[in-house]
Amino acid sequence: MSDPALNDPTELVQLAVDQDACIGAGQCEMLEAETFLLDDDTGIAALTGAGTLPRQRAEDVVDRCPARAISMVDQDDGAGG
Amino acid sequence: MTPTAPINLHDPQSFGSGIPHEAFAEMRANPGLTWTPPSDDTKGFWSVTRHDDLVTVSRDTTTYSSGVGHIQIYDIDEDALEARASMIDMDPPIHTRLRRLVSSAFTPRHVQNYKTSIRHRVQTRLDAVEAAGGGNWVDLVAKPIPIGVICDLMGVPPEDHDYLIGLTDHLVAGTGSETLEPTAYGNTTPLRLLPFNSPAAFAMSNYAAELGERRRVDPQDDLISKLIAAEIDGERLSTDEFANFFRLMIFAGNETTRSSMAHLALHLRQFPEMFEAVRADRSLLGAVADEVIRYASSILYFRRTVTVPTTLAGTDLAVGDKVVMWYCSANFDESEFPNPYEFRIDRPPVPPHVAFGGGGAHFCLGASLARLEISELIDEILDRELALEVGEPTYTESNFVNGIEQLEVTVL
Ligand code: HEM
Ligand code: SF4
Repeated sequence: MSDPALNDPTELVQLAVDQDACIGAGQCEMLEAETFLLDDDTGIAALTGAGTLPRQRAEDVVDRCPARAISMVDQDDGAGG
Repeated sequence: MTPTAPINLHDPQSFGSGIPHEAFAEMRANPGLTWTPPSDDTKGFWSVTRHDDLVTVSRDTTTYSSGVGHIQIYDIDEDALEARASMIDMDPPIHTRLRRLVSSAFTPRHVQNYKTSIRHRVQTRLDAVEAAGGGNWVDLVAKPIPIGVICDLMGVPPEDHDYLIGLTDHLVAGTGSETLEPTAYGNTTPLRLLPFNSPAAFAMSNYAAELGERRRVDPQDDLISKLIAAEIDGERLSTDEFANFFRLMIFAGNETTRSSMAHLALHLRQFPEMFEAVRADRSLLGAVADEVIRYASSILYFRRTVTVPTTLAGTDLAVGDKVVMWYCSANFDESEFPNPYEFRIDRPPVPPHVAFGGGGAHFCLGASLARLEISELIDEILDRELALEVGEPTYTESNFVNGIEQLEVTVL
């Protein structure tokens, strides 16, 4: 599935935040302050800018979110298969 | 054969000399989950000791509920559960609605607003240590800082801080062997209906109700005023809901951080080179704070209750089974943290330690606040070049918090 040879670790991937699932723990903003921003009033996370990160960092931030609210949007399903 | 726990995990005395690491290492090496058979005061329960299994349980609030059954090992009756319920004993979606009443005050960016006042508290306490030439680190530093910080945030007046420290001490004592008279603090509620079965919880609820009433009449810029005015689906929190919320915040924000700050003094003694490295490069402050938090694993466990038949790590679980997540074991899981008993400041942030929980709806609300408090304390110790001789700790007899009661330090 995720054969490292096929996944260029520097390749940019698109992220998404499920705001209904987000518990505002802010782990995303702590790890990737340029990409995530918690709303001052609601404490809920949103993407800033393009919302992309290199694959390895994207995987880390997805893993780090305690609410599983962050996902990677696969743009090129099946590519390289 | 189902493996059984090598020590009595339900007995506070098993934790009387700190985390029983050897027993947990043995359980991590067992296939599947480890069973503790029923005893006089509790039904049997499963122990989750490995990092990956713990994260699985923690994130699956549907299968492993906080709202069904108790979140501590021992069982209590439905009416007692009901009487003490706060968001930590609830499942989504009601849990989420309660949590969002306060979560914006605890985001990593927002807690930076408290940085100056936290630093000031830290300085005052370290001044006291230096002036006295030493003393009990727990009473001088680890206790007063976190309770002061959380009381400020909630809006508890400074003159009441000591009263609340006394109450929280008794709440935790309720999980160990020390007990209060049932009628202490004028308590009239049956103990089994009180959190930690302690009359101190009764006193805290009364205090909360009274302060809540004052803030309802005269709102301030604090969390109590926010909670008392908050509405969920058009309804205000009831008096009990409010009091339970208050108690959760005071307890959760206090005992845990205190324990980490107490352990910090031990780490300073045991791993001086690591702190020297941070002195030279303060960008490592966050990393060292997280390592203090992992190593202390201040909350030893939380429990969940199984709601649908399932299998975990090859062990079949039935509805109603009790599953205990031992954070103090998963944080030393050698397959996630190489050389787990080494105190290191170069551990990668992923996989994260689980001292704040293994993720999921209940992930510690105060994680960023706790990290900030501990970082400020370390930073100030390093700024002052405070050198301490640190004695032997007296641990709290509890299988729930990894507390230290007494730790004598001498300023060198
Ligand atoms: C080093 C210090 C701390 C540690 C080790 C710690 C640990 C934990 C743990 C293990 C949980 C349960 C997580 C779960 O069930 O998945 C938790 C929940 C919680 N913590 Fe902390 N905590 C600390 C500091 C704080 C502080 C400073 C606050 C201040 C407000 C706080 C407030 C809470 C609350 C309110 C919950 C319940 C959250 C919920 O149910 O949604 N904690 N904490
Ligand atoms: S880490 Fe997850 S839960 Fe926390 S703020 Fe970011 S998206 Fe929300």
